[in-house]
Amino acid sequence: MALYNFKKIMVVPTAKDFIDLTLSKTQRKTPTVVHKHYQIHRIRHFYMRKVKFTQQNYHDRLSQILTDFPKLDDIHPFYADLMNVLYDKDHYKLALGQINIAKNLIDNVAKDYVRLMKYGDSLYRCKQLKRAALGRMCTILKRQKQSLEYLEQVRQHLSRLPTIDPNTRTLLLCGYPNVGKSSFINKVTRADVEVQPYAFTTKSLFVGHMDYKYLRWQVVDTPGILDHPLEERNTIEMQAITALAHLRSAVLYVMDVSEQCGHTLSQQLELFNNIRPLFANKPLIVMANKCDVRKISELSEENQKVFADLTAEGVTVIETSALTDEGVMQVKTEACDRLLTHRVDTKMKSKKVHDVLNRLHLAVPAKRDQKERPPFIPEGALIRRKAMETDTPKRKLERDLEVELGEDYTLDLQKYWDLMNPEEKEDKIPEIWEGHNIADYVDPEIMKRLEELEQEEELREKAGEYDSEEESEDEEMKEIRQLASQIREKRKLKILASKEKDKQGPRIPRTAKKVWRERLWRRRWVIWVWT
Amino acid sequence: MRIEKCYFCSAPVYPGHGMMFVRNDCKSFRFCRSKCHRNFKKKRNPRKTRWTKAFRKSAGKELTLDNALEFEKRRNIPVKYNRELWSKTMVAMKKVEVIKTKRQARFIINRLKKGKELEKAADISEVKKNIHLIKAPHAGQAKQLEDKMVQKLAEDVHMDE
Repeated sequence: MALYNFKKIMVVPTAKDFIDLTLSKTQRKTPTVVHKHYQIHRIRHFYMRKVKFTQQNYHDRLSQILTDFPKLDDIHPFYADLMNVLYDKDHYKLALGQINIAKNLIDNVAKDYVRLMKYGDSLYRCKQLKRAALGRMCTILKRQKQSLEYLEQVRQHLSRLPTIDPNTRTLLLCGYPNVGKSSFINKVTRADVEVQPYAFTTKSLFVGHMDYKYLRWQVVDTPGILDHPLEERNTIEMQAITALAHLRSAVLYVMDVSEQCGHTLSQQLELFNNIRPLFANKPLIVMANKCDVRKISELSEENQKVFADLTAEGVTVIETSALTDEGVMQVKTEACDRLLTHRVDTKMKSKKVHDVLNRLHLAVPAKRDQKERPPFIPEGALIRRKAMETDTPKRKLERDLEVELGEDYTLDLQKYWDLMNPEEKEDKIPEIWEGHNIADYVDPEIMKRLEELEQEEELREKAGEYDSEEESEDEEMKEIRQLASQIREKRKLKILASKEKDKQGPRIPRTAKKVWRERLWRRRWVIWVWT
Repeated sequence: MRIEKCYFCSAPVYPGHGMMFVRNDCKSFRFCRSKCHRNFKKKRNPRKTRWTKAFRKSAGKELTLDNALEFEKRRNIPVKYNRELWSKTMVAMKKVEVIKTKRQARFIINRLKKGKELEKAADISEVKKNIHLIKAPHAGQAKQLEDKMVQKLAEDVHMDE
């Protein structure tokens, strides 16, 4: 039973789909093979299982539909009323009732046929009984086609309703069509409601959220209401009325001072008085919108009197313009503050407050001596604040430079480097030399180390490490070397010569194939010809 | 821009060359060419693959511990640019390179000295053992032998008398 989460309702299949689904499920999930020669109880059990399985499936699915759809008595009256307006309470209840009946009928059918199946004495009879049972269940469901379609549409529309929390802080906008309610909500929140010059652009409720005093506020935009009695109102206007009636919120009644909406001020005043009863117990603010076109002071005498009357009655009238943002902030703060105080008052009067009141305690630090300790603002902060107000550009941005230079612009971050000698900022730094990275050698003490190394090198050279050691070999050694090379050559030649000796005479190579003597004898004439 | 070292053979990898492989434990491996990459994929150990620098260094075939090699070291905290320091570094770098190459060459020559001696000994033993392949035992000593024989005969004659 989803309270405010209408999006979790399961999809309601059409009658045809429903039937197909369930029957194919039965086909797949129950055993399929049965033969004439099985024992009769086995055959009966087989078919009974199918009937019960189908019944179970239908029952489950239909129960789920019944529980998923919200009961109009169990949800908040705002939503109950809204659903009544949109979907017609009677039709809704009827549809669900039909589904319930269908469920019960299916159960009964299954029960009966299972009972009959106990007396089936052959495979054929049992099969026919099962066929009849399944057929009846499907027919029952076929008759529910209309209800299922209606419920599917309801579900789709329900999931798209805006999530309005009836208990939290809300601002409600109402008034004639085209006065500027949607423009206001677009300005104040992140909502993106369609704004068009024709009346009834907004056809349903829209919610936007905004932050004020570290709290989340809902702003609800309604379709415009025209001035006729309640019975004659259509669905769209009724949504607005429902919202007005049930949501405990601050009401912002929007009036069009310039009469661009197509209705005169007196008409708007009439409407205001007519729906006055709905504003009972709610903080009310009248917004004189479109004041950029015409201000109240520019109006005629009688019209100004209208507003004077309103103010005299104690209703706050604020001039606003959704186009130029004039007065929008004022309205917002005023409405929010009034609503907050109103809510706090209501809470104070209720019983729950006393639990909280015991725990609330405002701690004030006690004065320990008579020294004055005023707040301290550092000078830098004051200067910066002043600079912010004058709004002069501080320094030239990279972006400005980019725009100036156009295509010649290159991002040069080297000019921001913080070096010891700022003249070196524009140096081109070498990075690689002959396969070595210069950055690997850089070291503040490199000259010292280099000196040490060079000294070491000198020492080594002196010690004679680097002397080229070509020993002048004496004659004897040279002769020995020459003889040795000759010996080696001679040996190699001998080895080669011995390899060339043909010790075993001509041999048939390994790759030759064996030939039968018979064959050779038979082919002797051919061989004779070819040789 | 840096010249990296190939993980497998330790050759310099210039920018725009070679491949880099990053493993799931965030360790990256650079390769100078597909030969090294393929060897790596075959899970060969560069310390055991004879043609790599890693093998040569671990097997002691190249100079490993030396002051001249300590100059080129990758630093994790870069030094701020200072024109004077950089120009000094460039000069020092070139000198160090000269010394380094000299020392490396000397190391290898020293290592190969032993081989030269072995060669010498092998030549001497070869000659001693197999001189008969090119020279007959008493070739070029015909005159001497004749004289010796004559002397011997003369002595024998003397003895007889």
